[in-house]
Amino acid sequence: MIDLAANFLWMFLVVIGGVLISWSVHFVPVGGAPAAMAQATGIGTGTVQLAAGAGLTGLISAGYMMQVVDNLPLILASGTVGAMIMISVTMIVGTWVYVYGVGCVPSSAKVKVDPITHDRQDLYVSQGTEGHGLPTVSFVSGVIGGALGGFGGSLVYYALLKVGMGVAEVDANMIGLVAIFAVGIFFVNAVIPSYNIGGTIEGFHDPKWKKWPKAVISSFVATIFCAIVAVIAILQLGGL
Amino acid sequence: MEPLIGMGVLALMGVAATIAGASEDLESDVGSQSNPNSQVQLAPQMMFPHRIYNKAVSGEPPSNALMCAIGATGAAVLMGEFNLSPLFALVIGALIAACVHGTYAMTSTMGRAASQSRFKQPVYLDMIRSHTPVIMAYAFITTFCVLIISYMMNVVLGHPFPLPLLAFIWGITIGAIGSSTGDVHYGAEREFQQFEFGSGLNASNSGNIVRFAESGLRNGYDNSWFCAKFGGPVTGIAFGMTVFLGSWITTVFDPAVSITRGWLSAVAGIIIVFILIIWNRKIEVAARNNYGPYKEDKPEEEAAA
Repeated sequence: MIDLAANFLWMFLVVIGGVLISWSVHFVPVGGAPAAMAQATGIGTGTVQLAAGAGLTGLISAGYMMQVVDNLPLILASGTVGAMIMISVTMIVGTWVYVYGVGCVPSSAKVKVDPITHDRQDLYVSQGTEGHGLPTVSFVSGVIGGALGGFGGSLVYYALLKVGMGVAEVDANMIGLVAIFAVGIFFVNAVIPSYNIGGTIEGFHDPKWKKWPKAVISSFVATIFCAIVAVIAILQLGGL
Repeated sequence: MEPLIGMGVLALMGVAATIAGASEDLESDVGSQSNPNSQVQLAPQMMFPHRIYNKAVSGEPPSNALMCAIGATGAAVLMGEFNLSPLFALVIGALIAACVHGTYAMTSTMGRAASQSRFKQPVYLDMIRSHTPVIMAYAFITTFCVLIISYMMNVVLGHPFPLPLLAFIWGITIGAIGSSTGDVHYGAEREFQQFEFGSGLNASNSGNIVRFAESGLRNGYDNSWFCAKFGGPVTGIAFGMTVFLGSWITTVFDPAVSITRGWLSAVAGIIIVFILIIWNRKIEVAARNNYGPYKEDKPEEEAAA
């Protein structure tokens, strides 16, 4: 017997996690292919790729933490910190490459002054480009994005594992099933904001960032369906 | 677990991650993958036919995740069903992954080059024959090192995720890091060396990649030779730092001992992130002071006139 109502709280947490993941992607400064050619501000990779890289690294940390303690705030904190470390390390090494390898000065083309440091940006943008590298505001925005993504991913994993604990003993098969669903829900919610972002976004100071409610509402609806499918599958397959 | 053994395992994982990161980046430079490959693909259409391998199986994170998941699944089956020693199982798993990757690389480069025949892009069979084994070799090193990390996390550190899932997630992460860091060195510098250093890529120069080497036509070997000096090693450092720092905080402040230790590990992670934000700011200021010249700062009225 599949009892969805009994698992309403966990499904609600999955949906909250999905919405947070969707929101987090808007913070991650990605420049796509143009950034890889120092033609746009941000990290030179795709939106989904980097957000997923950071969030899933957080999932590894949260999974480890959940093995040893059963304390929700600590599990979420561990996922958040794992994702923050991954994204900040990637961004600092990205800055090394832009500054020492490519010779570009970090600069934003979307704002005239950096909202955090109040430094002029427009003077440093090279001709024919949309900025390059990672100015401080983009770096901080990326850290916030990583944190939200790691938090959301861990919340989804925690909630789904709790669903699984209700039907069977937790073993490697159960954890594998739950983690695959968490990864899948992460990807669904990382892809939806890409339509808002359209390849490049510099962070929370970018005008495109203001479009986030559209993506968040879409993710909310999509994650409800994902949560229903995930809960049914875990309840049915429980321990395989 | 004894703290010293934990630190030793962590050090080994960090070393394996550093090697994996470097080889992942060089693999994507020899074969030209990820975002910089958009220029390699664009070049023939802008009437710049070239002799550069053009694989781009997919974005780097999915292609590395595929490789690592195939390798880990193979290894898990060999260890579980055939009781093979982990060392042999991981090597054979990585070998299977490298063969699959080689197949993808070859079909995608041939397909891409052939589809650009109307732009007079030749299919260099000798280049494909010479480059594919190198791509497979780098793919083997990457997969093997990621499998070592995942195996040690799973067996020694007691991570609950199964081996193939851990390898899959680390594959996504290594691809995301490689395409964010080392590939920029290939895309923004090596492909466009004929333009002024530090000027970024003017949009009007898109597709005009360097096609001639010191001797003859430039190929993937020349690109990996150049990127091995900076892009590859820093990618290795990035992935090594991610794996090492991510596990270091929970090894030093073990949450299994007490909840307080667990919270200390989170605080330690946040301190590391703050240090990196400040470091980025220092590099930004130093670069602005040392580089240049920049645009003149014209008063607003003058600019309007």
